[in-house]
Amino acid sequence: MKKDIFTKMQILSDSAKYDVSCSSSGSENNYKTGELGATNNSGICHTFTADGRCVSLLKVLLTNFCIYDCSYCINRVSNDIARAAFSPRELADITINFYKRNYIEGLFLSSGIIESEDHTMELILRTLRILRHEYKFNGYIHVKLIPGSDALLIEEVVHLASRVSSNIELPSDASLRLLAPNKTKEKVLAPLKLARNFSLERTNKPISMSTQLIIGATPESDLEILRLSSALYDKALLKRVYYSAYIPINDDKKLPSIITKPPLLREHRLYQADWLLRFYGFGYDEIVSERTPNLDEELDPKTFWALNNLHLFPIEINKASYEELLRIPGIGIRGAKKILKARRFKKLKLEDLVALRISTKRARYFILCDGRMQKELPHYAEHIRHALLAPPKEKKEQPTLFDGSALFGEL
Amino acid sequence: MTLLYDGSFETFLTLVHKMYYEKLNPDAILKKAPDTLLFDALHEVRYDETKSLAVFEALQKRFAKEHFERILHIFMCDGVDFEMDLLCYIITGFKSQRELENITLPYVFRLHALQKELFHISHKMSGFLRFEELEEGTLYAKLETKYSVLYFLGIHFSKRLNNQNYIIHDIQRSLAFVHTKEFKGVQKVAEFEAPKLSDAEQKFSKLWKTFFESVAIKSRENKKLQKCTVPLLYRTYMTEFMND
Ligand code: SF4
Repeated sequence: MKKDIFTKMQILSDSAKYDVSCSSSGSENNYKTGELGATNNSGICHTFTADGRCVSLLKVLLTNFCIYDCSYCINRVSNDIARAAFSPRELADITINFYKRNYIEGLFLSSGIIESEDHTMELILRTLRILRHEYKFNGYIHVKLIPGSDALLIEEVVHLASRVSSNIELPSDASLRLLAPNKTKEKVLAPLKLARNFSLERTNKPISMSTQLIIGATPESDLEILRLSSALYDKALLKRVYYSAYIPINDDKKLPSIITKPPLLREHRLYQADWLLRFYGFGYDEIVSERTPNLDEELDPKTFWALNNLHLFPIEINKASYEELLRIPGIGIRGAKKILKARRFKKLKLEDLVALRISTKRARYFILCDGRMQKELPHYAEHIRHALLAPPKEKKEQPTLFDGSALFGEL
Repeated sequence: MTLLYDGSFETFLTLVHKMYYEKLNPDAILKKAPDTLLFDALHEVRYDETKSLAVFEALQKRFAKEHFERILHIFMCDGVDFEMDLLCYIITGFKSQRELENITLPYVFRLHALQKELFHISHKMSGFLRFEELEEGTLYAKLETKYSVLYFLGIHFSKRLNNQNYIIHDIQRSLAFVHTKEFKGVQKVAEFEAPKLSDAEQKFSKLWKTFFESVAIKSRENKKLQKCTVPLLYRTYMTEFMND
């Protein structure tokens, strides 16, 4: 019955891997002399998995035992799978030893519900106490709050963790009712609201929080999803929303069948749209609408928006504001900043953009450089769309973040 | 005129001095004498402490901190022929500091880009570096990088491994950043014996590999993407890519 530590690691990291919210960036530098660990402002990837994802944190479950039976979840009680549990001490020791070897930035701790919500939260808390108090560890710790656990437990976790999250998982209450009967959106968001209030009692900066939405398991459109994300960002409740293409794990009549492929391209487009919300000053209703409730598969959301708003183009790159530059397809944050910097010294021509290594593949259809249009092409949407998608798709676009745009935010 | 110097920062400063006061007018600056004959005369510049110091002080005084630091950083980029660009950069800087941000000047842009590449490598290595625990508890890491980022990494880890003894060993350059109670900084490594690992080392490296393999999602496997994100040349000392 007793499993060795390697088997436990195998089981408990395997069950945690479908949770994508793992980025450790955007937290303060906070090291203390004579102690161990610091967090870094720009996220650090310590390795990349065979599917190309960044590994920054030791992402494991404390246990994959669970008393509930959510349809989409690999750990649901009705699944016949290998189960295991770390003790708080065991997990704290592994974290410290991984950290010292520079395998990881810190810990991402989540758990199935063992015995009860409070008992589970208590175990998580014990792990945190060992790490923070006993080992004086100041590195990054992300905790998934257990919805329905006691407010006092949540309070202590909030004070010890670097970031907390609670996964909404399904974008609408109707879907939650169907697939995760023990959850509602309110119940999932409640610990986040508590967490924010607790952290605000001590500092004026609320603790950083995130959530995850599963894409493609239920019928919500991109419009509904982005409206939800946008509302969460607007209320400043969350710092990040993560999107996870549904990977069929359980054969359940309520879910899309096992044969369907994970909707990776859709996930990719949602991440691009999310960047537009957070860093490019777009409103969700500019990107999707009742008329086109889903993101275009062929074109990235910014290009799609631009083609529907051709009257705003071409934009003169020598005069446009930063915000306007960001609206040009193919010009990202770095590109816009370079343009602002460079044009203080001279009027920019297309050659200058090339010399500054700003990609003009898409941008050239939408800009004026010192009064000149770049393409002798007719300025109408279908034509540009056609030109951008040519040559005809022999090489189908890989939905795998190859261009890195979703990772680095250059759209 | 083609100039030859030993590739060091100090001698380069001497070269700058000579250019101003002895009216050298180079169209190429080499670190190594070429094998083939040059049509041009080859003029060798040797280190001169007084001249070098004079330029150093002038740079410190007249250049903004970030512009001055950029010069130092460029010298960490081994194997790049940056000398002519850097010379133009320094001449420009003595006339106008503002122009050093003018990325529409090709040599300014190239130096900015080179510095960014250096930072990029350093940032990547701050994640990819792997320590092993030695018998007496010291953490030991081997490093091999295109440009010299040892010092950056040493500083980076002095924050996170503040209460630990550690050594980062730059194999190609025979240097090490040492962090102990007694000494913190870069040292030359004269000789080197493979150190003995602690008893726990094997357990944790195996545990890490277990984790690494188990978190990959099979249905999303994409080795090509993985090769872009962790290029093979970074993998030499990464525990999870090593066979035991
Ligand atoms: S409560 Fe959490 S761990 Fe348990 S079945 Fe539902 S989603 Fe899975």
